[in-house]
Amino acid sequence: MKCHFCERRCDLADGRSFCGNFAEENGKIKECWPDQWCTYSPSRIESVPFYHAYPGSRSMIIGTAGCNFRCRYCSNGFIACKDPAQLQDVMYTIAPEKLVAMAKKMGCHNIVFNVNEPAVSLPSLQRVKKYAEKQDIPMGCLTNGYTTPEATQMMAEIFSFVHIGLKGFSDAFYKEFVGIPHIAPILRNIETFSRTCHVEIASPVIEDVNDHELFDIARFIHDIRQDIPWHVFRLLPEHNMKQSVYPNIDRMNQALETSRSLLPYIYFHNFVGSRWVNTLCPGCGEVVIKRFSLGCSGDRLDAFLAPDNTCTCCGTAISMLGTRVGWNDKQTTVWESEI
Amino acid sequence: MSQAIIDAREWQNTFDLETGQPQTSESPAADMAARVLSRHPYPGDVDEQANQWVTRTALDLIEQYDPDLVCLSYVQQFFADRHFTYARKERERLFASAMEEAERFIEKSGFTPVIVGTGDMIPLKGEMDLSGLDGLAVSSNWSARYCGIHAPSRHDMAFLDSLDTLERIVSRDQWIQMFATAQHDLEIHQDTNLMPDFLLAARQGHAFKTMGTTLRKPVHIPAKNFLVPVFSPLGRVDDLRDIKPLIRSYLPDHKIALILVEGVGERFFPASRFMCQNGVDWFCNEPGDAFYLTVSTGKHQPFAYPAGYRFFDKDADAIKFPFSGYMDTIPEHTLAQDFPGKSIAVGNRSMFMHMVFGVDISIECFARNLFNQGCMAVVHREDK
Repeated sequence: MKCHFCERRCDLADGRSFCGNFAEENGKIKECWPDQWCTYSPSRIESVPFYHAYPGSRSMIIGTAGCNFRCRYCSNGFIACKDPAQLQDVMYTIAPEKLVAMAKKMGCHNIVFNVNEPAVSLPSLQRVKKYAEKQDIPMGCLTNGYTTPEATQMMAEIFSFVHIGLKGFSDAFYKEFVGIPHIAPILRNIETFSRTCHVEIASPVIEDVNDHELFDIARFIHDIRQDIPWHVFRLLPEHNMKQSVYPNIDRMNQALETSRSLLPYIYFHNFVGSRWVNTLCPGCGEVVIKRFSLGCSGDRLDAFLAPDNTCTCCGTAISMLGTRVGWNDKQTTVWESEI
Repeated sequence: MSQAIIDAREWQNTFDLETGQPQTSESPAADMAARVLSRHPYPGDVDEQANQWVTRTALDLIEQYDPDLVCLSYVQQFFADRHFTYARKERERLFASAMEEAERFIEKSGFTPVIVGTGDMIPLKGEMDLSGLDGLAVSSNWSARYCGIHAPSRHDMAFLDSLDTLERIVSRDQWIQMFATAQHDLEIHQDTNLMPDFLLAARQGHAFKTMGTTLRKPVHIPAKNFLVPVFSPLGRVDDLRDIKPLIRSYLPDHKIALILVEGVGERFFPASRFMCQNGVDWFCNEPGDAFYLTVSTGKHQPFAYPAGYRFFDKDADAIKFPFSGYMDTIPEHTLAQDFPGKSIAVGNRSMFMHMVFGVDISIECFARNLFNQGCMAVVHREDK
């Protein structure tokens, strides 16, 4: 029996799936570690980073363990690249209704899955969605996009905002740095998600490795929809690339110059103090959203200068899911014990 | 106005420390600090070279600025021991080499030392998972012993009472009162409404698993270090709070280095060490802001950034000092704040050193959750 969650389509007769999260039981796919979470913590939505969804809101960050990729530079390799079986003592067992209640206790506006790949825990996430929907709490995720069409459809039903990693633009890059043979399913899924969800895209840039692919990525995004925000991350050498050189910021920024004519919302960050985290109005170039970056998972909203998602200088609409949310809008210390 | 110079490797920018807004700088001190930064890229929190980075950077900064007071932290061994497993001999070597690095600094600089260890690390025996409470349990990445409980139910309290690995449950008022009795001018700068209703203290060797704790399971955690080792030829003190007056009394005639060595206990200190009280009654400071601030201000500081605090309920739109972690004001009464001589700090405690000592110029790594982002210099004063 083949697993149908990601494009590895693992044969479960051989044991657990590559990600370690699925096995065959009585002719069905079984989720091995249901309702096991590696974290639940409040964070700014900009830190995920989502820049064009509910700006200023408080997200409850969740994740599980395991991944279908083996990125050589993975920042969360200590949890994403490990066998989930070996990590069960660090996980929290939290039933879906309790997890949603936790988001309410912590005053969170939304729930975002972002530590590892959500496709490895879709059955649990479907259950969380059921309770989150009742409480009017939207869900979002970071994904590598290497899902089957069926799983992509499931994700599109769970998540209303999706941040997809497009890590390079060639099979060769994905083969060498990620460990999968083809990029095509990812490109297909970006198009699928863009039809139903709010989509942002992230690409890590590794100097002299994939920086020559940046313009191709920009053109691909442009051809889907030019208002999709694109985050270009300076590689933070981690995991199996710890000894690598940090990409030069000025040179990488220069390499993005031609792409800026194609896409209005390009951000270059993942390093402390980045100057390229503000949103400029595509119409007149005025700053309409100011942000501050502390590097990986440390971005925050500084000022939202586009009431009703509109530039006050020229009236151009700024592409956005929802609008400005007050950080403490849902703050509470009185809560029901269960939902 | 204090300036922060961020060095993200081959790329530097200057910011207003309080607002985080970019600035252009014509300050000679900022230029000097920026040059020092560029000469010393940070190797990373758990890299063997991280403590040598402290010594090298401090010696360079001393050569440029000629300070009378130097505050240092050596923390690599703490980060490494907390997160990774080492053979016994290798562990011993890690801690011993941290002390050797502090001694190397003293030998090279000629400063008179006051070396403070934060106490031993011990193996993690077990964790208390409090994610299932009806109330909200809050701990932090770097705390093992303490956890705050907000709005617990009766069922929660019964469950907590049943835990053998829990040493005590203390109400917020009892916690505050204990320190108010020990420190008559106790300061609480944070909103007490965001403090937990109850503080939990774990038994030795146990830690909490809650919202806010690390994704990386600790291997070793701080012991209950009610006594910590101190070495100084300047004289003996009995309490961490006495270190500030000791240093200040000798500063007019001595160049002094206050050196904090984290995770290091008595047996790694020179024979002429003495032990010093850390905390009050059942509360001992873990390595972190309260420990540093107690040493620097000469006052108990458990409520500067209290354990179990609902930091996420503070107003995110009004955040000040974005490069300074939890800290949103410059602490008062710090060691160098009103010292007329020149002072510097260097350390691999990130987002921290520039706030806790009140020095003129500081340089520290800029790492978050062990992710190495570069380094930061802060220039508070350049009028000396």
